[in-house]
Amino acid sequence: MPNSDGPKLKIGVYWAASCGGCDCALLEVNEKILDVAAAADILLWPCAADAKYSDLRDYKNGEMDLVLFNGAMRTEENREIAELIRAKTKYLVAFGSCAHTGGVIGLANLSTREEIFSRVFGDKANWPELEVSQNGGTLHLPEFLNTLTPLDAVVDVDYYVPGCPPPVGIVSDLFGALLEGNLPPTGTVFASSKNLCDECAREQEQLRISQILRPHEQEPDPVKCLLDQGFVCMGPATRGGCKAVCPAANMPCTGCAGPTANIEDQGAAMLNTLASLVGTGEEGEDQLEAEDAILAQLDDVVGTFYRFSSATTLFKGRYHEPNATG
Amino acid sequence: MSDKNGSFEPRIVAFLCRWCSYAGADLAGVSRMQYPPNVIPMRVNCSGRVDAGAVMKALEKGADAVLIGGCHPGDCHYVSGNYKTRRRIILLKRALSEVGIDPRRVHLEWISASEGGKFQKTITSYVDLIRSLGPSPVGLAKGQDSGSEETEKVAVGVADAE
Repeated sequence: MPNSDGPKLKIGVYWAASCGGCDCALLEVNEKILDVAAAADILLWPCAADAKYSDLRDYKNGEMDLVLFNGAMRTEENREIAELIRAKTKYLVAFGSCAHTGGVIGLANLSTREEIFSRVFGDKANWPELEVSQNGGTLHLPEFLNTLTPLDAVVDVDYYVPGCPPPVGIVSDLFGALLEGNLPPTGTVFASSKNLCDECAREQEQLRISQILRPHEQEPDPVKCLLDQGFVCMGPATRGGCKAVCPAANMPCTGCAGPTANIEDQGAAMLNTLASLVGTGEEGEDQLEAEDAILAQLDDVVGTFYRFSSATTLFKGRYHEPNATG
Repeated sequence: MSDKNGSFEPRIVAFLCRWCSYAGADLAGVSRMQYPPNVIPMRVNCSGRVDAGAVMKALEKGADAVLIGGCHPGDCHYVSGNYKTRRRIILLKRALSEVGIDPRRVHLEWISASEGGKFQKTITSYVDLIRSLGPSPVGLAKGQDSGSEETEKVAVGVADAE
């Protein structure tokens, strides 16, 4: 704890394009939040406190010590506030999958803006207008960006806290480091540098996968490695730090913590891994057809391997072949 | 990339396995077989060494297509590397088509050390195919005609990682 006579820390929490799960995850640290409240003033937390954007604009540059920023860049407002917060805080933390790698909502990039609006609002007549005049005043809605990006595509980020939502142990570590004035070098990802398998308790035999299964199709054996059983578990390509909570609850890892420290492209790494494991047990030209049949059991390649990281890869959008017909 | 006349000249990165396809390319060379100069060959120890991420990176950095050359089934120097890469490319092609990239922009071909002629034919017909597909939509989305320098850089990056 910092000495209680010194000035209190000033922190903030902000949400951009997010679901609110990250804000809830902050409170999961239970009584540690009281230490934080004792040592720090919360200057901004739209989900739980009262500060307005006008207050934020009034803060001096660098006035806040640390801001936990969750959510991705989806609208012009997200981007504007990200830039504003960057100026007002010493340390900016990308908190949670969406701010870190774009998150599951990054998959929206595979649809055009028109498709998204049609799906959400239906007929074009129902689409929101950016400017609405009412009672003599004009209201503005922020522009919906064509491509969703993670936070660091817009502003410099000092720390990353992965996870959807970030696991309680990691949040606790971050608060601990902040309160002790013991923050690591900037650029640090608050999680294990090893992969999830490193902390998973399941028994692995490294079997060949002769059948690709999804969790609703069969109840997984609670002891054996999920990949050995044919469930696409993202553990080998995913950063640990969550104590493998999903595999412990009999659900395959979906990769929310992003790539490990040593790999650049989480989805490609997992695609390589799975392709290496798939097989009938024998290798040879006469097995190729059977291998194709196993691979065909995998639905939705991008959505499986890039569920949380598509916004940071080649798959951050849908492309149009120049000479395509129809 | 366009030439002086504005016609499209594809840029293709070719990952060739050291034991078969690269030797096949060498044979085409020493036999003075003619093929279009649109290919940047990269020697890898085994086609099984070709990471899906390396193929994607080549596409991201400006390649219009990526060719992977490996040993014929049963001939892999490392027993099963070519089968692994085959499965990988199947999944990668599906991922590419999910985002609107023509899966033919990634192509796997078995070319042995004695098949200089097959190397020449493969390159010639593949360059024709990519020319008909047009420039990579990845490059077009970036709104720029990324120079061949970029592609060279990717190729060097992959070689360094060997």
